[in-house]
Amino acid sequence: MTISLVPLIVCGLLVAAGVTLVLERSLVRVLVGVILMGNGVNLLIVTLGGNAGGPPLLGQTPPEEMADPLPQAMVLTAIVITLAVTAFLLAMVHRAWQLRGSDEVSDDTEDRWVRLRARRGELGERVRARQAEYDRLVAEQRAELREPTRGEQLAHRRADRRRLKARQREARKQMRRTIRAERERQALALDPELEGDE
Amino acid sequence: MAALIAIPVLLPLLAAGIKLAIGARLRNLQGVISISALAVNLVVSAILLVQVDTHGPMVARIGGWEQPIGITLVADRLSALMLVTSSAVTLCVMVYSVVSAYDRQEDVAPMAIFHPAFLVMLAGVANAFLTGDLFNLFVAFEMLLSGSYVLLTFGGTQSRIRAGATYTVMALMSSMLFLIALAVVYAATGTLSIAQLAVRFGDLTPQVKLLVELLLLLAFAIKAAIFPVSGWLPDSYPTAPAPATAVFAGLLTKVGVYAIFRLESLLFPGGPVGTLLLWAALATLLIGVLGAVAQADIKRMLSFTLVSHVGYMVMGVGLATVAGLAGAVFYAVHHMTVQTNLFLVTGLIERRTGTTSVNRLGGLMRKAPLLSVLFFVPAMNLSGIPPMSGFLGKLALVQAGLDVGGLLPVALVVAALVTSLLTLYAIAKVWGKAFWREQGEGEVAPEAGEEPVERSLTTQPGLYGPVSALIVLGLAYTVLAGPLSSLTVRAAEELMARQPYINAVLGVG
Amino acid sequence: MEPLLILHAAAALGAPWLVRRYGRGSLLLLAAAPAAGFIYTLLGPEPSSRPWAPALGLTLSFRADELGLLMMALVTGVGALVMVYSSRYFASADPGLARFAAFMTAFAGAMLGLVTADDLLLLYVFWELTTVFSYLLIGHNPESRSSRRAGMQALVVTTLGGLAMLAGFVMIGQAAGSYQISVILADPPQVAPVALVLVLVGALSKSAIFPFSAWLPAAMAAPTPVSAYLHAAAMVKAGVYLMARLGPAFGDATVWRAVALPLGAATMLLGGWRALRETDLKRLLAFGTVSQLGFLIVLFGAGTGAAALAGVAMLLAHALFKASLFLVVGTVDRAAGRRDLRGLSGLGKAMPWTCAAGVLAGASMAGLPPLAGFVGKEASLEALLADPLVLVAVVAGSALTAAYTLRFLWGAFASKPGRKPTKVQRPVVLMVAPAALLAGLGLVLAPLAGWYERAMGAYTAAFPDPGHGTHLALWSGVGPPLLLSLVALAGGGALFLAREPVARLGSALHITDSGVAFWSAVRRTDLAALQFTGIVQRGSVPDYVLLTLLSLVGVGAMVLSYGPLPALDAAVTAWERPEQPLLAVLIAAAAVLALRARSYLLLAVACGLTGYGVALLFLAHGSPDLALTQFLAETLSLVMFVLVLRRVSNPPVPARLPFWLRLGLGAVTGAVVVVAGILAMDARQAQPVGDLMAGAAERAGAGNIVSALLLDIRAWDTMGESTVIVVLTLGVTSLVFLRRTSYAIDRRPPRPRPGRPWLAAALPEKDRALAFEVAARLTFHTILVLSVFLLFVGHTRVGGGFSGGIVAGLAITVRYLAGGRDELARAVPVHPGVLLGAGLSLSVGTALAGLAFGGEALRMLAMDVAVPLVGTVHLSTVTLFDVGIYLTVVGMVQDVLRALGAQVDEQVEAG
Repeated sequence: MTISLVPLIVCGLLVAAGVTLVLERSLVRVLVGVILMGNGVNLLIVTLGGNAGGPPLLGQTPPEEMADPLPQAMVLTAIVITLAVTAFLLAMVHRAWQLRGSDEVSDDTEDRWVRLRARRGELGERVRARQAEYDRLVAEQRAELREPTRGEQLAHRRADRRRLKARQREARKQMRRTIRAERERQALALDPELEGDE
Repeated sequence: MAALIAIPVLLPLLAAGIKLAIGARLRNLQGVISISALAVNLVVSAILLVQVDTHGPMVARIGGWEQPIGITLVADRLSALMLVTSSAVTLCVMVYSVVSAYDRQEDVAPMAIFHPAFLVMLAGVANAFLTGDLFNLFVAFEMLLSGSYVLLTFGGTQSRIRAGATYTVMALMSSMLFLIALAVVYAATGTLSIAQLAVRFGDLTPQVKLLVELLLLLAFAIKAAIFPVSGWLPDSYPTAPAPATAVFAGLLTKVGVYAIFRLESLLFPGGPVGTLLLWAALATLLIGVLGAVAQADIKRMLSFTLVSHVGYMVMGVGLATVAGLAGAVFYAVHHMTVQTNLFLVTGLIERRTGTTSVNRLGGLMRKAPLLSVLFFVPAMNLSGIPPMSGFLGKLALVQAGLDVGGLLPVALVVAALVTSLLTLYAIAKVWGKAFWREQGEGEVAPEAGEEPVERSLTTQPGLYGPVSALIVLGLAYTVLAGPLSSLTVRAAEELMARQPYINAVLGVG
Repeated sequence: MEPLLILHAAAALGAPWLVRRYGRGSLLLLAAAPAAGFIYTLLGPEPSSRPWAPALGLTLSFRADELGLLMMALVTGVGALVMVYSSRYFASADPGLARFAAFMTAFAGAMLGLVTADDLLLLYVFWELTTVFSYLLIGHNPESRSSRRAGMQALVVTTLGGLAMLAGFVMIGQAAGSYQISVILADPPQVAPVALVLVLVGALSKSAIFPFSAWLPAAMAAPTPVSAYLHAAAMVKAGVYLMARLGPAFGDATVWRAVALPLGAATMLLGGWRALRETDLKRLLAFGTVSQLGFLIVLFGAGTGAAALAGVAMLLAHALFKASLFLVVGTVDRAAGRRDLRGLSGLGKAMPWTCAAGVLAGASMAGLPPLAGFVGKEASLEALLADPLVLVAVVAGSALTAAYTLRFLWGAFASKPGRKPTKVQRPVVLMVAPAALLAGLGLVLAPLAGWYERAMGAYTAAFPDPGHGTHLALWSGVGPPLLLSLVALAGGGALFLAREPVARLGSALHITDSGVAFWSAVRRTDLAALQFTGIVQRGSVPDYVLLTLLSLVGVGAMVLSYGPLPALDAAVTAWERPEQPLLAVLIAAAAVLALRARSYLLLAVACGLTGYGVALLFLAHGSPDLALTQFLAETLSLVMFVLVLRRVSNPPVPARLPFWLRLGLGAVTGAVVVVAGILAMDARQAQPVGDLMAGAAERAGAGNIVSALLLDIRAWDTMGESTVIVVLTLGVTSLVFLRRTSYAIDRRPPRPRPGRPWLAAALPEKDRALAFEVAARLTFHTILVLSVFLLFVGHTRVGGGFSGGIVAGLAITVRYLAGGRDELARAVPVHPGVLLGAGLSLSVGTALAGLAFGGEALRMLAMDVAVPLVGTVHLSTVTLFDVGIYLTVVGMVQDVLRALGAQVDEQVEAG
């Protein structure tokens, strides 16, 4: 069959315009975009279906000059379906307007919620890391303490024990502060079931 | 016998018409009509399956028009099996929704809405399984989609409108793609009859063949929720009324999967797309199940497992062996049943507690032991705990994958096993929090963007009936594993052989 | 075997009822199930096999050889005793008792199936079932977080191993061509090492071998009977059993030994070492179990007949003494109310029988003569003499065993200096007897070692590598083994005496628990899942659409990259009809307008313009029906747009992507579509089906081929589409009428007006346009007539149900626009639901009639009836079908007007 470019280009044009609108957020524009695409695609079906010809009416056009009727039937069905879908989507627009005073297609909250929990989880990991670091600090200080240093005098030992105690208290306090800060920034770290270790 | 083929489509439609004519009055009559129509459907499709399995594919020529002029309905093993499963499942769901009086919500509406929409959707599903004409497949899709639009936005709450927008827009995109594909198909081959296409595609250049195949595949992939076009599903399904979600989860994605079965086996045997499908399956499996692990709401978790497990079936198709296809079919049958079942049970949980968020549920095992059992069994089935059907399907696929060998198939086997493990983990998390943990532990503030769901603390024992029936059905697949698996193998062989279908439709031999 | 399993299943299902009926005593009744199994074992069961799912290679085949009998005896015997024990262990008021009874019985059944299955896949089935039941049993009191976590850990770890094992099984089965274990053992196939590794992963994870060992101590959160049965005698032995089962086939593979020996030895040492500083008696025993399991894995990992002989001896001994010890701990716990050895003192005197049982079992565990443990230990040392490295590990392990045994007995029963005796209430007989019985068996069976060896002969002989000959005997003379075990005992004593420093050293050297590793891994998985999903699942529709379109573009790219574009052999023209370019320009202009339009109304109009343009293009292409329908449809949708948009103002909604990007993507998509179209048109060779339609239409007796297609040839499509119309109309209704509002429009009495009004319009004076009303009034019926004309002429000329219906709809619309909703009510007095229903029923009815009388759905029936005076009238169901569609469309329009028109009016007036 002969390929006639103009109708094809019109199809491409309509599809392009439709896509441009479909990618918007306003439901009305999306709907119009779909309709434009639909028109383009319907035209595509007819154009690809066969060459232009006479109307497929027996007795009016000799069969060999007729345009292929099958694509026409397909498109007719498609048109009517598009009409019904338009009605439905318009009702949806109306409802959305009633509810929120806008026809914006808003994002899904649950997915935002997941992203939020992911961020919380990252913070939780950071908290855990700091805690571990702090525990290590305390542990090695303890070890330092426990070391039997017979050579030194008791006074000396008491002195640096006091210093160590002070340092520990300082560290602990600072640690608590940071942790509290973190905890305030995030309600629950990841998942209460997975927190802590045996 | 061939006369029976049209019944599963016509009966629901007739019922819908009658309901509309009698209007919203006589509600009990409404329920009776629907249930009896679906029951008849189940019987008819069972007969069809037996017939087809013994005598090979059966063809109904609509309006008595011969091929390739008219439209044909074709019942072969695959479509009949799908039909039987879907009608059994939908019967249970219909009983559930009649008992749970979801249809009563239309007290507020001036017409019968729930039942007609539901029935038309089912008619569309049946039509999609049966049709032998590519354009009629499009119409069938539109039928089931239109029904699902209405059910999804039922009640018109804010979240349902949002979900409805997502769902509708994506469905329209897939319809557009399908229409483009149809235009291309008719231009290239000049026919719409699937059987004749199977013949005529042979003469096309590989390039055009690839074009057609990929276009159709993309259109179906959206319906089947295969990555990368799967994102819409978890955002739209969970908000619908429980019975609607159940049917969506069980049937609608499977219609897309079924279309892919046909497409890949009948129209494009072999070909370069198998590898592509395997990659898609890999991505779908893992991405879906990771999403499931991430969810804090039972319905959404289930929706993500739904996406993920579609990957199993795609894997089976991608392997392009009889074993693989058989495994995929088996898994489809299993998955239709168990997903519907789980969504219905979740609906029960929602009715009882008013929420499905695990952070606010708790102590259900103590408070509702029966409900816990009803949840635990299908949940274990879904996560592939032997000897239940989920395991059997997975086993078939693993065997098929290792049979084929090679890097990608083996990678898929690994992914399949990992998916199964993570599914179990996600389920166990839900179980531990919603059923084991006492309420109050780890309570969190209500999450954003949620609306109070319809909640009735009056537990209706009648609701346990259909749910238990579905559980029994799921377990029956284990007991009947022998006949069922051999049936799926026969179906797969029939698909791969192609000739039985083609000859039956074109009336050759 | 099946009857036995069914018995267990039935008992499990009946258990809740029994418990509710008879309280904890019913456990004694339930113990009958495993007891029956024990008797059956003694009778010597026959192998049985029947197909289950041949397509999957699944067969229900059971077989009990020597090894199987041993395991059966253990599983059933210990099971029965533990059930008896639990009948007193639990308080009658325990809320979880019913659950426990059911799960425990079910577990016993699953375990029985596991050890008797003769099919790898069947074995896997029971394997996973034990996992699930142990999960449920560990979570016996789910209020405690630790038991929930323990359950989750056990479930995940063992399932992970199980799935790996499944893959291994499938590989083995495919290599052997059968999953039948006896077949595989008969002639072992050549399998890839990875398959064996996978199987071993399963076995090791189930038997809590390093690095999977952490779940077992955690599982001590379960009630003590559960620990005694699952975590000492039965489930943790499953891994060992699997290795023992497959040992004869694959024991000599290098990878087998390379994996099993080091891990087993490491586990033996680590577990023993950890047990030395545990203060909770139960956890102490748990770590002891881990260590002993390592020992068993070493024995079966060696893959020699001798080691296997020692292994089966050790298996039996360990099951006896460890179960007994757990029961003892449970008794102590119940009696003293605590089980931390720091809090216990002087129990030896307080509960002598329990103490005796404990000491007896402990002695067997430490490997003292004349007990079963000693026999096993001797044999193992002798069997392993060949391998010095392993031997050293085992001796060290035995030393640790002796040490923690002493620590256990001392901690449980000794009276500690400076601590007053713990006060206890006397344990009941039913709790002491099982422990004592099991411990006693260790003493009684030891002399039967020789007989036992002969009994196991067939099994051990099956190993290709006999290994260093060894024998089971109570006294095998003074030799290296004896010396070695003396060394071990001495070392153990020393370690016990130095327990305080040892414990300190232990906690000093303690780096990390593999439990910690597990949970942080789980946390990281969760976090990864969250982050990943947060990235992938954007939750925004434009993104999904974008992905879809990109995929479409990708399709185009793939097709182009598949090969060079062929030279077109089809003729190419710019246009076929002169009007086409003109219309193209018009459509382009309208499209641009649509893109730039700010206000929604303008947008709608522009959209409509493109529609009209397309309609004209259809006309130019030679499809008047299409043009007509398109024209009418566009008009109707324009009306609907206006109806809705009169309320919806349009605030600027920011798009997700900038305009130019979207336009660019649109252009690319359009290009893809066009190129695809050209490729397709170029590929056409066959004659299109459409050419056959003229003849078909003639046969159908229709002049208009398109309507013949719609109403007869492809009427099935039309039927489907009319249902779509119906359902979506319902959707409109359900979205607009959310409360039962005055759907039936209330006819308010028309306000008295001067003169006779043209319409009974309810519009306020200012909104009324007399000319319009007159026009509406005058034209209404004319248009209706036209619509009916279109309906009936459609069969032979342009027209048909759709166009007719829409025209009628437009007439109603005009009436409504002119006269408001009262007028709408007058225009169509019928309920739209009825119209829709009737329409749908008509078209479907036609289909069924065709099926009933014509043999095919939708076969159109025609008949000529002679009507007096009129002559013959040609009646055809085609007409009915078309009328159905007409009604459907009218119903849709009317309903849409009521919903989006009248209802919205009310809302406007309501404000």
